Amino acid sequence: MKTVSRLIRSPEGLAGLILLALPIAAAIFANVLFPADPLSIAGPALVPPFSDPAFPLGTDRLGRDVLAGLVHGARASLAVGLAAALVALAIGSLVGTVAGLAGGLADEVLMRVVEAFQIVPGLLLALAFVSVLGASLPVVVLAIALGAWTGPARLARAEVLSIRERDYVASARVIGMHPAEIAFREVLPNALPPVLALSSVIVAGAVLIEAALSFLGLGDPNTVTWGAMIAEGRNVLRSAPYLSIIPGIGLVITVLGVYFFAEGLNNALAVRGIRS
Amino acid sequence: MTVHDLSRRLLLKGSTFLFASTVMPKIAFAQAPGGRLVVAADSEPKNLNPAIVASNGVFFISSKIVEPLAEASYDGPEGLAPRLAVSWEGSDDGLFATFWLREGVTWHDGQPFTSADVAFSALQVWKPLQNLGRLVFANLEAVDTPDEHTAIFRFSKPTPFQLIRNALPAVTAVIPKHVFADETDIATSPKNNQLIGTGPFKFAEYRPGEYYRLVRNEDYWGEGLPKLDEIIYRVLPDRAAAAGALEAEEIQLAAFSQVPLSDLARISKVDGIVVYTKGYEALTYQLVVEINHRRKELADLKVRQAIAHAIDKDFVVNTIFLGYATASTGIVPKNAPEFYDPSVPTYDFNVETANALLDEAGYSRDANGTRFSLKLLPAPYFSETRQFGDYLRQALAKIGIDAQIVNNDSAAHQKAVYTDHDFDLAVAPPVFRGDPAISTTILVRSGIPAGVPFSNQGGFQNGKLDALIDKANTTVDTAERTELFKQFQRLVAETLPLINVAEWGFVTVARSNVKNVSNNPRWAVSNWADTEV
Repeated sequence: MKTVSRLIRSPEGLAGLILLALPIAAAIFANVLFPADPLSIAGPALVPPFSDPAFPLGTDRLGRDVLAGLVHGARASLAVGLAAALVALAIGSLVGTVAGLAGGLADEVLMRVVEAFQIVPGLLLALAFVSVLGASLPVVVLAIALGAWTGPARLARAEVLSIRERDYVASARVIGMHPAEIAFREVLPNALPPVLALSSVIVAGAVLIEAALSFLGLGDPNTVTWGAMIAEGRNVLRSAPYLSIIPGIGLVITVLGVYFFAEGLNNALAVRGIRS
Repeated sequence: MTVHDLSRRLLLKGSTFLFASTVMPKIAFAQAPGGRLVVAADSEPKNLNPAIVASNGVFFISSKIVEPLAEASYDGPEGLAPRLAVSWEGSDDGLFATFWLREGVTWHDGQPFTSADVAFSALQVWKPLQNLGRLVFANLEAVDTPDEHTAIFRFSKPTPFQLIRNALPAVTAVIPKHVFADETDIATSPKNNQLIGTGPFKFAEYRPGEYYRLVRNEDYWGEGLPKLDEIIYRVLPDRAAAAGALEAEEIQLAAFSQVPLSDLARISKVDGIVVYTKGYEALTYQLVVEINHRRKELADLKVRQAIAHAIDKDFVVNTIFLGYATASTGIVPKNAPEFYDPSVPTYDFNVETANALLDEAGYSRDANGTRFSLKLLPAPYFSETRQFGDYLRQALAKIGIDAQIVNNDSAAHQKAVYTDHDFDLAVAPPVFRGDPAISTTILVRSGIPAGVPFSNQGGFQNGKLDALIDKANTTVDTAERTELFKQFQRLVAETLPLINVAEWGFVTVARSNVKNVSNNPRWAVSNWADTEV
């Protein structure tokens, strides 16, 4: 609870929360605000923003409501971002913990695998993965997680290496606890906080990679995403720039919000760390 | 590779690009009266030989180097203008076709052009290797060359001369026998990309990713032609970049709608830029919904009719093509007046009729209002085909069909649709090439092996339709053959093996100092001998 109040009191944390409130609210209430399919053709094509009250942000090349797309796009972006971060964290902390605790050959092998993934840029990895398996939401999530799990893995391993030398781990070993039990009940919970702080950075990166994939036409074409909206607007950039700018602003707000939030969370956790 | 090498290479590459982008156009304007034309190219074909690959991407560059026997024309007899042949005639029984060739023509390497080159091209290249020639010259048996300037094509079965004539511009690019005769595998020969032809321009240079350079053929047979000294094709794969490059005078011409349709209204108002919508009449592209008849639902004619009724062609023409297209009535486009029959059954836009047809077919809506789901694969070649895919998904949703779009790149799309048949509906842009037998009947004829692109891979089979196509292929009498194709159109419209939505030609945008643009129905892929800057 103290962490939360500290988070709100820090300027970054507060700014992050306020910025994030917009896309989160949009994502939650998307179906209430715009119950129809956001990809459905709702009116005349290329209505400029702020000219028709029925379409406050205008319509695109086919007459789809830009505001509906923006609101539903927030849902896709955040869902992919959070899911990818979750998958990356789960895989990363698992691998890191096992490597750190087991040590020896297992550690060597696992860390070389991590490095193998690290030398390939995340976007390229995601591109390759999606083009092979075909674009759908779960594949995109997995593709992004594939490039993001290495950070948590390394961090978790480093934490575990220091924790496993602590006295309470030694005593757990002495009373005959199973190694797996030690790993997941004693070590992992204590190694997790710094790894969690990394999560918001992963979310921001995942949102951007998802947008890049959709922009390149590798997103799921049956759901509306900001990247795909920007890509479609690109063809009419000279005559209707708002089609690319509006979802672009959505991206900026989300990513900036996540970063600020991460910064605030980091600071709040650091204070706690020092006091304990 | 050392760092030194790398940086020098990069530097060289970079400086050539700078040269290409800034210095060239300036020289172009200083070099009057011959001058240099800089054109945007959006693709770099793997094989540049038009005798082997008869496609517009290849013709766009190679048609200036290698010439066909005849070219399409707005005012010539039978819609043709002579090129390497000066006149032609088909025998009454359809077993012979005689071409009298132009005299005094030389290849770019100085050798004389003779009937032996035509015979070699026809028998060794067009018939066995070329995508379109395989069909047109399927029954070609031999080419007699009684003298150096006469070539007589002998057919084993009657072959309509109407077909040969209509196919001349696209399938009869003549390549030199003395260059290719010794090649063991003509299809993969490196000489395909170092073309030697008889055309007004000679192939000079190709830098991958940068440009193609063609230079004036001083010994061209056309008097006073060509008028340009040089043509540069600047590779601009990003279609959106062409408009900016035109405005900055980095390029002087962009063909094949490289400037996006949505940008035309704006760019047509820019001083010194002209938009041409003519010059593609013989290259009509058709927007078609391909149907996989292996799907139980789609095998039902009522379902196909319902889909046809669900498509608002006016929306497609006015919103997706911004008016630069025409709504289709059937499988033969309107600007093929020789064959076009407007009286075929048509399917007006009517959602109620569509829903009623689906109810009648026994596919009722479930709790979510969905009757059944389909997999929809829009072809990735044009932004319009992709947009139509998005539109079709919405149009189908209105009649209770849930279409899930699957996006692929070109190679994956061709494999999925034409080899693996892994689709329910696909959006395709086939080309009508002057005669239904060249590239249109193949869209509905049964018995085509898997893997042939732009053909009937939807498993449609109609014995009557196949018989009509086969009969037309051996009917020599022009009037009778035309009538068969009218019956063919009617039967296609009745049975709906595919749904024709719209047909379009492209748009050329050029600087106003480029003269004689779009002066024949295949201008972008003709030889540009009379083009001036």
